[in-house]
Amino acid sequence: MGLRWYHFALWGAFIVGLALLPELVSKGTLRTIIFANYLAIFAISWDVLSGRTGYISFGHPFLIGIGAYTTAILTKRFDVPVEISIPVAVVVTMIGGLIVLLPALRVRGSYFAMITLAFMELMYQLVQVIRPDLTGGTRGMSGLPTLTRGAVNGFYLSAFLMVSVALSMWLLMRTRLGTALSAIGMNEESVRGSGLSATKLKMVAFLLSAAIAGLGGAFYVHYLGTIAPRALFEINFAFTIIVAALIGGASTIVGPVIGAFFLTLLLEYLRPVLPGAERYLIYGGVALLLYMYQPRGIYEIIQQGLARVRRSS
Amino acid sequence: MNYKMTTGVVALTAGLMASGAYAEIKVGFIGSLSSDTGLSTLRGAEIAIEELNAAGGVMGQQITMVSADTGEDVTEGIKAYEYLAETEEVDFIISGSIDDVSLGWLPRMQEYQIPTLDTWTSYIGIIDMVVEDPETMAPYFMNIASDEALATLYINFGADVLKAQMGFESVVILAEDTAFGGAITGLVTEALAPVAGIEVKEIITYDINTNDFAPIFAKAQASGADFIYQVSSVNSQVVSSQYVKLQVPMAMTGVNVAALGLEYWEDTGGAGGGISTLSPVPSVGFELDPASQAFVDTYQAKYSSRPKIPHFNGFNAYHGLKQAMAAATEAGGFDDVKAWSAAMLKQDLKLEKDGQLWLRYGFWDYDTVEPVTGRTYPHNALFDLEAPYDFAQPSMVVIQWKEDGKVGVVYPPEYATTDFTLPSWVPAK
Repeated sequence: MGLRWYHFALWGAFIVGLALLPELVSKGTLRTIIFANYLAIFAISWDVLSGRTGYISFGHPFLIGIGAYTTAILTKRFDVPVEISIPVAVVVTMIGGLIVLLPALRVRGSYFAMITLAFMELMYQLVQVIRPDLTGGTRGMSGLPTLTRGAVNGFYLSAFLMVSVALSMWLLMRTRLGTALSAIGMNEESVRGSGLSATKLKMVAFLLSAAIAGLGGAFYVHYLGTIAPRALFEINFAFTIIVAALIGGASTIVGPVIGAFFLTLLLEYLRPVLPGAERYLIYGGVALLLYMYQPRGIYEIIQQGLARVRRSS
Repeated sequence: MNYKMTTGVVALTAGLMASGAYAEIKVGFIGSLSSDTGLSTLRGAEIAIEELNAAGGVMGQQITMVSADTGEDVTEGIKAYEYLAETEEVDFIISGSIDDVSLGWLPRMQEYQIPTLDTWTSYIGIIDMVVEDPETMAPYFMNIASDEALATLYINFGADVLKAQMGFESVVILAEDTAFGGAITGLVTEALAPVAGIEVKEIITYDINTNDFAPIFAKAQASGADFIYQVSSVNSQVVSSQYVKLQVPMAMTGVNVAALGLEYWEDTGGAGGGISTLSPVPSVGFELDPASQAFVDTYQAKYSSRPKIPHFNGFNAYHGLKQAMAAATEAGGFDDVKAWSAAMLKQDLKLEKDGQLWLRYGFWDYDTVEPVTGRTYPHNALFDLEAPYDFAQPSMVVIQWKEDGKVGVVYPPEYATTDFTLPSWVPAK
């Protein structure tokens, strides 16, 4: 796995930093970081699928939405406790992941991206017209049970989830499985030629990605306390996830976390200065400049910086 | 010398702050900062605050306002509410949010218990939440008539004008694919046939990004209905201007949010004549009482950009914010939410025109049953569903843009300034 002592030290410092955060920042900032944590989970989920295997998904909210809607319907309409509804939501989302896998067995590249986009659009339409008595139709559902109250509790729960997902995926991607998944992204034919089953590997990636998306989506909706199709199955939501992964550093697991924090905090810290839509212009401009400067993301910029420091010392 | 002066200024500032002379009431605005709807609420609130501050403030404190943009996005709305509550720590929130955005931040309002006034959202489901959970919904008030009340009176327009005067017996509904579109369509289809005796032939749902309505209008014509009922809140000027340009030979009425603003004529390039729409009051073309006219005069002197006159929610924000502050004065501030809520419920502003009740800004209490619908509307704006409208103003009016660019109220007759007419290219039945 190539683990070094400083890997554990950095992860430890990150976890301790997060644990101390409520003592150091305002509750308003904590609320912002909660959104960053959930965006990080979604970006990791995208990274496991698209960053590794090269199957670019434009419809990741399809998977997140399955998890979110499953637990929302179970708890709101059938009074199922969240302890049961969330695991069920994860399983249902994994089945959704297998549905996304089907086209990946035949197409890739822009064709696959367009199909995933179609999945998201299809889901957007379906939740509004199929059994609106269950889904809440176009208005969605409000008054869903929330797992925590207050900024501090919400922060700890989201941070725990994010760290658990990030650390487990980071470790997993350092195994031979992670290497094989990356190989699919580089040259799928070579993977087949080496005797590995590309189909099975892709299935693992899609199931893992779906499980994370389902878990994140389920907890996210119980944090918001509300769900609406326009909030979930939106192209802007899909792009935010992709941009967070790319700007942070795709195929690295840590990069999407950095990207999610960077984008969320940037947007929220611009709010008092530019309360209107202008902040999105700055946000987009900064993201574009960063990506042009280093297409491999902030993670790579940090690594290059550290390498320079090491050389100079 | 400089040191002494600096020390003196610091000491004076500290003293003033300690004495509470810098205390302020902080109002948060939540809504879109780039839509006519959002700006109407924002500016209505700004003018009310300026007037209150000029009169000495509230409880000896000046009022300030901070804005949080939602971009009409549900998740951004939640973030905006959290920002106002936790970062800005506002005392009171005034909202120009659209329906699904309000539904998004409602759980946060229930958690923070910040007094909140919604000026645009009209979803009856929120009033149902007040009925079901009065405790946690105590801080919430909606000072626009709920969509159920809007639709109920609109059905009367269907019976009195569309059916009785025009002889229309069937309708095709042309509804946008949004939460608003779905809700209004549901309310109208449930009531048009049984109450107004108008058969719903077909419901055509279209995407809000639709640019070419020719096939949709062709489908509407093929339905064989007598008229089109449109439900459009997003890019409404597109559907109405294409209706005019294509000279669709069927009357079209319904809900067209673009037509609620004075900019409608410009937005359609002068191709908006003949369109009629339901509108909460006061609408464009609505005769104003002296107090509301004074507000519009102040508004027009202060703002040169669109909207030229505030939409109905601008009036709601102007009067509603003053009522919220009056309630705070009575309750000793905003901290005791139950006391503030009880005081807000008692607010009652009656505006007269020519010696008659014209507009009334107040709220339904928990027990009073509205006689037409037979239900309660706690914390919803007062409205009247029966002529002669001596209890309050009607829940809505129907306005019509004429082919010469003029606009007037066509229903109910007590508030009408012009007659409902068919566009020149539509044959009478």
